[in-house]
Amino acid sequence: MREILIIGRGGQGAQTAGNLLAQAYFAEGQFVQTFATYGGARRGTPVTSSIRVDDQPIRLRCDIERADAMLCFDDTLLDQGLLGRADDGTKIVVNSTRSSDAFSALGGYQIVAFDGMEIARRNEMGKVVNSALLGAFVAMLDDPGLETMCEVIEQTAPVKQQQNVAACRQAYQQLRNPA
Amino acid sequence: MEAKNYPSNRLLLSGNHAVAWGVKLVCPDVAPVYPITPQTPILEKITEFQSQGELDMELLTPESEHSAMAACISASATGARVFTATSSQGLLLMHELLHYACGARAPIVMFNVNRTPASPWGFWPDQLDSLAQRDTGWIQLYSETPQESLDTVIQAYRIAEAVGLPTMISHDAFYVSHSMEPVEVPSQDLVREFLPRFEPRYRLDTELGQSFGAPIDQATWNRSRRDIAAAMALVADAVTAAGEAWGELTSRAYGPLEQYRMEEAEVVIVTMGSMSGTAREAVDAMRERGEAVGLLKVRLFRPLPAEALRQALAGVSCALVLDRNYSPGMGGILHQEIKSALFAMSGAPRLHGLLAGIGGVNVSAEKIQQLVDDCREVEPSVEAQWVE
Repeated sequence: MREILIIGRGGQGAQTAGNLLAQAYFAEGQFVQTFATYGGARRGTPVTSSIRVDDQPIRLRCDIERADAMLCFDDTLLDQGLLGRADDGTKIVVNSTRSSDAFSALGGYQIVAFDGMEIARRNEMGKVVNSALLGAFVAMLDDPGLETMCEVIEQTAPVKQQQNVAACRQAYQQLRNPA
Repeated sequence: MEAKNYPSNRLLLSGNHAVAWGVKLVCPDVAPVYPITPQTPILEKITEFQSQGELDMELLTPESEHSAMAACISASATGARVFTATSSQGLLLMHELLHYACGARAPIVMFNVNRTPASPWGFWPDQLDSLAQRDTGWIQLYSETPQESLDTVIQAYRIAEAVGLPTMISHDAFYVSHSMEPVEVPSQDLVREFLPRFEPRYRLDTELGQSFGAPIDQATWNRSRRDIAAAMALVADAVTAAGEAWGELTSRAYGPLEQYRMEEAEVVIVTMGSMSGTAREAVDAMRERGEAVGLLKVRLFRPLPAEALRQALAGVSCALVLDRNYSPGMGGILHQEIKSALFAMSGAPRLHGLLAGIGGVNVSAEKIQQLVDDCREVEPSVEAQWVE
């Protein structure tokens, strides 16, 4: 079983990203479980989406205490509290204009910084950054496949389907083949 | 018996949307519902089904949960099949009418999402809201997974209508209500076979000239309670029958209790709802190490299947009751109930009451293993212990 956390601020689309990622795993025939904080979450407050993926039914109904991968929508949320749920084997993608090296002071973690906002803007998406970040994240995770991820985004995006898919693809390519 | 060959459809659903799919398949006549976090996705989804013409049901949205339950009782009295859903404060506001629904012998099915009652304000999984209704005369079932929630909504109508008592199903906020996972959605034909039209023995009808709920003398009130007791005595068998019939159609059978890896178990974890899933992982890990640990999941809480609990725990040396609820001044409610069920039983297990996960704090599989290790050689105290 793999355990994944997506962390963002209310309104950024982190919970939606968690649901979309789960749908992509589900479409590839995996067993998934995803749940998100709710109720107390308001625009701007930290929110978390938790995802478990396995090739057999998932029975655990508790929090993820140590994640195999993390996607962080906001680099101000990437602190020691959050890293308490990571170790040196955790793959972390953080949405940031800074370089990956800028995060080395946090300790020996596998942190890849990625400017999702730049790709969102390039695709006329304004601040809607989740499709780009999902592209970068699946590039780092190796699965679900990019095509599956794009299909889910195309089917579920309420508007700008093609721009969302383009942002996902560009982010995937950029993380795989950095300039 | 081999499952009949009905096609099912595997969808990625949250626990609450799985409940809504169960309601869609049952197609009750009337559903009075008031929204409340974290129940609201149930109401939203049945509203969506209804507005798209996929659910031919009268949906009422009164001004409060109290009024919603009043509408449920009235609709049920006319012989209609009735559904409602609520959570926490909403269920507590219904309290007065929960007693009424039982006395009126209204086979309403209600889904409750277990959430912490205020104050302080919270949205977290905790079973105090429904456990505090244990004396209202409602059948109470607890669900572990979105799949079980869907399956149980459908079975609940068979159970409620067989015995003439209202039935409440609860699943935990967050870990079940908002957990999205693959759910097998059975076909409409299967549900039609399982749940034929309801033909009540009595109903309000202007053509019939009967009335319900008139003031009565002491002896008649007394008899009404004895009638309820007689109906309660039928519930465990009705739950078993409905669960087995469902199993024949879907290969997913259910009963009042579930025994998981209980063979030769020395230590047994007893719990309800979502924590059962995490406990399964703990049991597997400990069995892997050669430790004789099992899980007893309580699915039917009211009426408490006391005789079945005694049989399940016979020969077990140590049992841990994990309560995700706290009754101030008393402890964990399931712990109290199990204690009373085992009263005067010779060779009863040493019973540890553990207040685990109150207010939705995390209880991991590792934590449960540690609790088993901490308890197995220790004499239990009468009072429940808080888990750190």
